[in-house]
Amino acid sequence: MKKFKLFTRNFAQIKMKTLKYIGLLALVFIFSVSCDPTEETDTEKPLIDLSIDDAFPNSCAIMYFDEPFNFKAYFSDNFALGSYSIDIHNNFDHHSHSTEEDDCTLDDKKTATHPFVFINDYEIPENSSSYETDLTMTIPSADESGLFQEGDYHFYISLTDKEGWSTQKGLSVKILHK
Amino acid sequence: MLALNSIIGHAFSQSNQELKGTVTNEKNKPLKGALIKLVQLNKGAITDVNGEFIILGLQKGHFDINISFLGYESLTKSVSLPTNSPIKFILSKIPISLDEVTVTDNYAENRKKEESLAIEIVNEDYLKQNLGGSLMKSLERLPGISTIDIGSGQSKPVIRGLGFNRVVVVENNIKHEAQQWGADHGLEIDQYAVDNVEIIKGPASLMYGSDAIGGVIDMKNKKLPEKDSFGGTIDISGKTNNDFIGTSVSVAGRKEWFFASITATLLDYGDFKVPTDSVDIYNYRAALHNNYLRNTAGKEQNFHLSFGLVKDKVQSRFYLSNVNSKSGFFANAHGLEPRNVDTDVHDHSNRDIHYPYQKVNHFKVINTTTLWQEKSRLEIDLGYQRNHREEWSQYVQHGYMPAIFPDTLDFNMDLERKFIKDIYAANVKFFYQATGKTQLNSGINSEFKDNKINGRGFIIPAYNQVNIGAFVFARHELSQTKQFQAGIRFDVGRIKTSSYLDWFPSPIDNSDDLEGKFLQRAASLNRTFSNFTWSLGYNLNPGKWNYKVNVGKSFRMPIPKELAANGVNYHRFSYEVGNPDLSPEIAYQLDLGIAFSSARFAAGASPFLNYFSNYIYLNPTSGHDRLYGNGNQIFLYTQSQVLRYGGEFHTHYELLNWLQLGIIGEYVYSRQLSGEKKGYTLPFSPPASAIINLKYHEETLGGLVNPYLSVDYRITAAQNNIVPPEVITKGYQVFNVGMGGEVNLYKQKVNLSFQVQNLLNKKYFNHTSYYRLINVPEPGRNFIVNMNIPFYSNKPL
Repeated sequence: MKKFKLFTRNFAQIKMKTLKYIGLLALVFIFSVSCDPTEETDTEKPLIDLSIDDAFPNSCAIMYFDEPFNFKAYFSDNFALGSYSIDIHNNFDHHSHSTEEDDCTLDDKKTATHPFVFINDYEIPENSSSYETDLTMTIPSADESGLFQEGDYHFYISLTDKEGWSTQKGLSVKILHK
Repeated sequence: MLALNSIIGHAFSQSNQELKGTVTNEKNKPLKGALIKLVQLNKGAITDVNGEFIILGLQKGHFDINISFLGYESLTKSVSLPTNSPIKFILSKIPISLDEVTVTDNYAENRKKEESLAIEIVNEDYLKQNLGGSLMKSLERLPGISTIDIGSGQSKPVIRGLGFNRVVVVENNIKHEAQQWGADHGLEIDQYAVDNVEIIKGPASLMYGSDAIGGVIDMKNKKLPEKDSFGGTIDISGKTNNDFIGTSVSVAGRKEWFFASITATLLDYGDFKVPTDSVDIYNYRAALHNNYLRNTAGKEQNFHLSFGLVKDKVQSRFYLSNVNSKSGFFANAHGLEPRNVDTDVHDHSNRDIHYPYQKVNHFKVINTTTLWQEKSRLEIDLGYQRNHREEWSQYVQHGYMPAIFPDTLDFNMDLERKFIKDIYAANVKFFYQATGKTQLNSGINSEFKDNKINGRGFIIPAYNQVNIGAFVFARHELSQTKQFQAGIRFDVGRIKTSSYLDWFPSPIDNSDDLEGKFLQRAASLNRTFSNFTWSLGYNLNPGKWNYKVNVGKSFRMPIPKELAANGVNYHRFSYEVGNPDLSPEIAYQLDLGIAFSSARFAAGASPFLNYFSNYIYLNPTSGHDRLYGNGNQIFLYTQSQVLRYGGEFHTHYELLNWLQLGIIGEYVYSRQLSGEKKGYTLPFSPPASAIINLKYHEETLGGLVNPYLSVDYRITAAQNNIVPPEVITKGYQVFNVGMGGEVNLYKQKVNLSFQVQNLLNKKYFNHTSYYRLINVPEPGRNFIVNMNIPFYSNKPL
């Protein structure tokens, strides 16, 4: 109880002037914290939609060497899309996981000796807020060094919007010889 | 104390003898507040400002008198009354004592009053009471300080939202140089060897040169042992969250003018636990085994040797240290890239370290020499450092890298990056007391760095760099309560980067006819920078108030990564491109400070306003690049105008003699005023945050000396102000508890501190964590205990 009396006495000792200053300080601080100038900036990432009709490839898709296919995906953004790229690389050693929740069965691990590699970047018409790809691709079965290895590959799509926000999708696919 | 006062007050009696005396230390300095007790009588006194005391109302005869003072050996002597003259008592200091808190606190108070920038000073005790996974984690509670973390043992400092190469870390007067630019590296500092840390919040280029544009963390290792002393400390720490066990042993001695000390630190920790059973890496849900964040274990072995001489007019001290660590990266992701994990291997033990991991060795030799004259002081600091850093991970055929790793290369296929950086530094500082009121400081800082690279991944070129800067700084006392300070500085620097060619060929065109070519990633570049900076400050200290104003210009030279990067960071899915035409970053800052402190109440605020005319920033563009970028998004280094403001607020009030309530808060707002990201903030902007603290403390409690129990309620706001590629981070509230004190076990003093971090085991995200983008939450509940055992010998050496 004695301690509580001390408490009230101490509190009374703080001069009114001091309290004013402290109040002012606190106000300045609260003011500076709360007055964010809210100029709208775009904080939304673009979207890669593979649920449209004919979307290809999807997770666990099977593709064949030398057989043309249509890369079909629906891209959208709240404002304007930027560009996209495709990267196809092997996952024979199971080094990486796709970005998707998938249950694709992987072949046994094997050493990559002559895998297929593909990388390219693509433009999207300026100021498009949505874009459906229509890209016919053919994966060659061989180059001058011989046949490419078949098996587990990653089909990697990267999409940006005009502000530099990006979305990635890495799909587990199989590329096989027919 | 109250009791003693009343005893003195009642000391009227028939007796007419008095006992007068003074208490001083060995240097004849009066000790104020020393406690005098007459052992046989229930009487005592406390010395005044001059170290004097008087006890009235005594009778003739013999008495035993006991004198004690915090941080000094107690003294018991026999006296017989009457005495002819006042008795002089000399107390000797306890060597390497942790009891010098009050001394340090006064030092901190004085430093804060005379420095016109916002500063924080903490000592070893603060570090022990707030012990975190790394030095920066232990300092994170301070207002305006945050960290960029990877795992439980690696953190980089952030001061008011600026980090990496915008914060200078100084250890024993020499700038700590490593690979400061990397978000996935820690700071190669042994927190067990640190005695005192001073943090300057705000641009301090004037005294510290380029890079100090955001602030400075200046630390000193163990202080000088007392004359003819021998002693040391043993620290033992444990943490439950990552099964951490650590020990640090320090021994120091001094014979007359020669002194030496040795410190060895061993730390070993397992994977840390997060309050979640899975982590969403994009849409892929990675399951965690028993909440362990797979492969985040680590270990550290540090060694320090210091020796030197201390004489009347000269002190010279050598510091040798080697800090060595190895720590794993979260195995389910290397950066942002989701990885497959062999759970049989990784979940076998939570203490082993598999790929991917990092290994760092940091070696330092420093000599600091100070020469005193009556009115002047000359300080010479020389340093050599070697930072050896390696990052290891399984070889992955990224981009156009070959499927079969060639055996003709001079590096291991699993060596992802290697950096060897040699740093030579020399500083000369001259202090001159021109008049009773005017002090002049001048100095020259110089540094030469040579950075070699190796490994399969290219991110920065090899380079060498030389910097020289000179400054003059004057402090003038206008009156007892007013001080004015001003300084100017000029810096010159030259950076030479080496050319780099890919070790594998890339197809120039994507048609079937592939003609391989080794791409040139970096050209040899030679750039020279120079800059003139200045600072003006004014301090007013009337009574219990303290006001500060400081205006200054600071600068930072671009680093080789900003000038010459040209490679893919597969862990960030980014193709990072430097800009060889960047100019040095210039910042202007206004700092204000207002503080009030009385015995029971203190409050203060330190707002700032900061403008960058050309902040260097890695801008994520909308483009992708096939050939050089292997299909990744292009990130270009650009410069833009930036406005920043914010500040810190602190207050504490002694509710009761034993109960203190405190609030500290921090806020920073940044905005780009020009360029492609106009309107956006800067990356890694810490959200507004406040800590409400309730602390119980008393002088003694049972057998405990200086016991304390402290509860922190941390409230952090959401960070909605983001820039690509960040994600919005929700706000959170966590409770941290700390308690401790000194106990005497069989006459051996032991300092105990105990903490519970994240008491409620809350799952929350830290906006400035490296793992934030792959949704890794912060560590779960963590019990931390630290035991510090000082020992010393009074026998002459």
